[in-house]
Amino acid sequence: MTWTPLYLLECQLRAVGQLRVSLHRKMCNRQAQVRWRSAGRPAPLLTARPTRALVDEPISIEAHHLPSHTPITVRANLTSEDGDLWEALSHYYTDAKGAVNLMRDPSMGGSYVGCEPMGLFWALQPVPGSREGLRLRKRDVETPYAVHLSLLEGHVNPEDTRGKGSEEGQELAKTVVDRWYMAPGVRRIEVRQNGVVGSMFLPPGPGPFPAVLDLWGMGGGLVEYRSALLASHGMASLALAYFGHKDIPGPLNRINVGDSYFRAAFQLLQKHPQVCEERIGVMGLSFGVYLSLWIASQLSVKPRCVVGINGPLGSFNTFSSEDGQQESFEENQRHWSYDEQGYVSFREVSLPSNIPSENYAKVEDMCCPLLYIVGKDDLSCASLENADEIEKRLHAAGKSHLFTRLSYPGAGHLIEPPYAPNARVSLWTTRPAKLFPPEHIRT
Amino acid sequence: MNVSADVSLRRSASSMAVCPVLSVQPTRALVDEKFQIVVRNLHPKQEVTVHSLHHSEDKDYWEAFGHYISDENGTVTVMEDASRGGTYTGTEPMGLLWSLRPIPGSRHGLRMRKKNVLSPMVVNISVYKGHMNQGFSEEAALATVVTERWYLAPGVQRVDIREQGVKGTLFIPPGPGLFPAVLDMWGGGGGLVEYRAALLASHGFVALALQYLTPNKERTLDIETGYFEMAYHILQSLPQVSSDRVAVLGLSFGASVTLTLAAYSKTAKPRCCVCISGSHVHPVNKTLFEFFQLMNQSLAKSRIDENNHVIWRDVILPIPTEPDLKVDVGKIKCPLLVVIAQDDQSWATVESTEDMEQIMERSGNRHLLTVLSYPDAGHLIEPPYTPHIRFSNFINQHNREKVIMLWGGQTKPHADAQEDAWEKILLFLQKHLYQDIPPEAKL
Repeated sequence: MTWTPLYLLECQLRAVGQLRVSLHRKMCNRQAQVRWRSAGRPAPLLTARPTRALVDEPISIEAHHLPSHTPITVRANLTSEDGDLWEALSHYYTDAKGAVNLMRDPSMGGSYVGCEPMGLFWALQPVPGSREGLRLRKRDVETPYAVHLSLLEGHVNPEDTRGKGSEEGQELAKTVVDRWYMAPGVRRIEVRQNGVVGSMFLPPGPGPFPAVLDLWGMGGGLVEYRSALLASHGMASLALAYFGHKDIPGPLNRINVGDSYFRAAFQLLQKHPQVCEERIGVMGLSFGVYLSLWIASQLSVKPRCVVGINGPLGSFNTFSSEDGQQESFEENQRHWSYDEQGYVSFREVSLPSNIPSENYAKVEDMCCPLLYIVGKDDLSCASLENADEIEKRLHAAGKSHLFTRLSYPGAGHLIEPPYAPNARVSLWTTRPAKLFPPEHIRT
Repeated sequence: MNVSADVSLRRSASSMAVCPVLSVQPTRALVDEKFQIVVRNLHPKQEVTVHSLHHSEDKDYWEAFGHYISDENGTVTVMEDASRGGTYTGTEPMGLLWSLRPIPGSRHGLRMRKKNVLSPMVVNISVYKGHMNQGFSEEAALATVVTERWYLAPGVQRVDIREQGVKGTLFIPPGPGLFPAVLDMWGGGGGLVEYRAALLASHGFVALALQYLTPNKERTLDIETGYFEMAYHILQSLPQVSSDRVAVLGLSFGASVTLTLAAYSKTAKPRCCVCISGSHVHPVNKTLFEFFQLMNQSLAKSRIDENNHVIWRDVILPIPTEPDLKVDVGKIKCPLLVVIAQDDQSWATVESTEDMEQIMERSGNRHLLTVLSYPDAGHLIEPPYTPHIRFSNFINQHNREKVIMLWGGQTKPHADAQEDAWEKILLFLQKHLYQDIPPEAKL
């Protein structure tokens, strides 16, 4: 915010409660302002299609019936399940016909720049003044996010829209889109069977379906949304809890399960009447990568393929075989590092050179293809180094043909389903308070 | 109805086979949005049937299907490939919806109309092996996807209107407004039909679906022009509505009401009008009750075809010359869009439109008239992809007689007419209600 003489005047007058902030905005804004409320003129039209989409489906957003060559802002608002408000906004100019088309037109500023048809979704951030370290994760995958899209007058910034009166960047039009993790007909089944704790998602139809065993990282609990989305694309998927879940016996801050647990989970998928038992893959993010590699190489199950996202091939703590019981994750903190803001990075923990080689998953015993995805700015896991180590070991075993790597410059740790907002930092359940996983928005 | 397969039988039959991948995008859409259906992982050059199934609110089953042959990659792309048989042929991206028909053994004379617009129309899309024409419920599908078709976009509000004797349902788009508005009227079938108004609101118009004929004990004694003027006034006076941007849209008898308002009303001055499958042959200055009495006399001219279906086409023929028997369309001062079907068996709309053109030519307001005339389409020109109904059960509002009314049209041309007409109706409404800004309102 520029401290112009006008702005200072406005602050004084606001103290007296006389000057409306909108007047300040209009005075400072050099661009033409358009009055919409005069003489019963109808509002412009903002459309978004499809109105109810899966979170990985792109949406066409357009505005019509505006004056030509006029500055406008398109804003997205979403209220999370925890009641936090997330927002993104972008600055456009209407064309000669008074229209804006986000599939075609570049944003000139705001939450992102350039032509980004889905920018309003992946650039969502908690509004100024929110609690720190928020991460947008849907717990109830059977209901959608409702995203409110608005057309605002002029070029508006996030700080202008909060708590300074409702006239800032007057809302000209609005539309609502629902974003779903589950397609219609997908079934969610709670799994508490054979000691296995998870949620299974089945596509509609008779099957048999290929299936995915879906593993997340040391955040713990049970994260369902990726599995729900996989099932919406025709694959049965079992989101598996293994750490920090109340239905798994043992201390919440330890991994209390071992080989037999993961084997039971895999077999549960295999035995399901609607799953094709020879077509099961394993997908893991972060620590889930280590588990996926372990499952693919050292258990007696045979996944058809493995997808690993930003994870280690070894565990710093000994991961004992049958019954789990390893040291608490945060007890071994000597490799944690901190940045100048006090955010912790676990990156060093997962450096292959810091992990005893006997703790590596024996990737050289793998027999199935591996797709490894690297966010090159991952500050939570040494993904690049781990990818290199895995590739090296597979090459030494004559299995290079099994390895495929996808690398994304500027991408961080939490490579999630597309168009989801990025969290550069987020709260972690353990001490210290903050974690430093991912990186630049627009990755 | 057993939609799911006998899974155990399938599983033992071929434990290596996995189901093909059927994708429909988007899975949730407005009823006038297209979807894209692709089937993958078939064998090359495999014969398959793509099938749609809908369980209506009236508990009837409707189905449609197309016969396809996969390409060398084992893929069928419905919007690009030609159906070689079934309920539609040729390259028809939306054929699975507009060619829906009651399954064999259904009750006779059905018509598909959504009553509850707050829930979607659910359609199951499936792929079957081979080219099938019947017996879909006994056969296991290879794959199934569930899709939702909505009349209402998220954020649109539905409000019951019971005011000043007027009965209807109001639909309000999200956002601050002001919005243009549409008074939406159906025909002699009576009742309160909401779905088209809901869809109009999903396109940015405040829409009032008006009931003026009750299909029960109430007599229509009092309904005359004053009722419709009151409805128009209520709509126009809403705070969200731009009062000089109100249109009137009517189908069948509703079209006659529309013309009456546009020509004679001193208080209702619509900005534009749309008349679908309607006629100006309508006694002037008579109440609805009197009109139906007159109709009853004319019904002697109705015919029965070889299937015992009633044809009302000749009832208003020949087009009368007496001025008090038809609306003087020469008095209309606003743009008028007339949509007619050349195979309309219910009402002589083609002859009426010719007469209207002549009257307007003589009166000097012919330039206000646009006519869309569709060959081989029938009377019931509904929102796009609504199944074509050539005849259906109908209750004559005045004498409560139940007949099967012949509406006319052939399925494919009728479907094309619905799709084209809706697009043009929306463009017409947007042009006259959203655009077309008078010079003095510009800055």
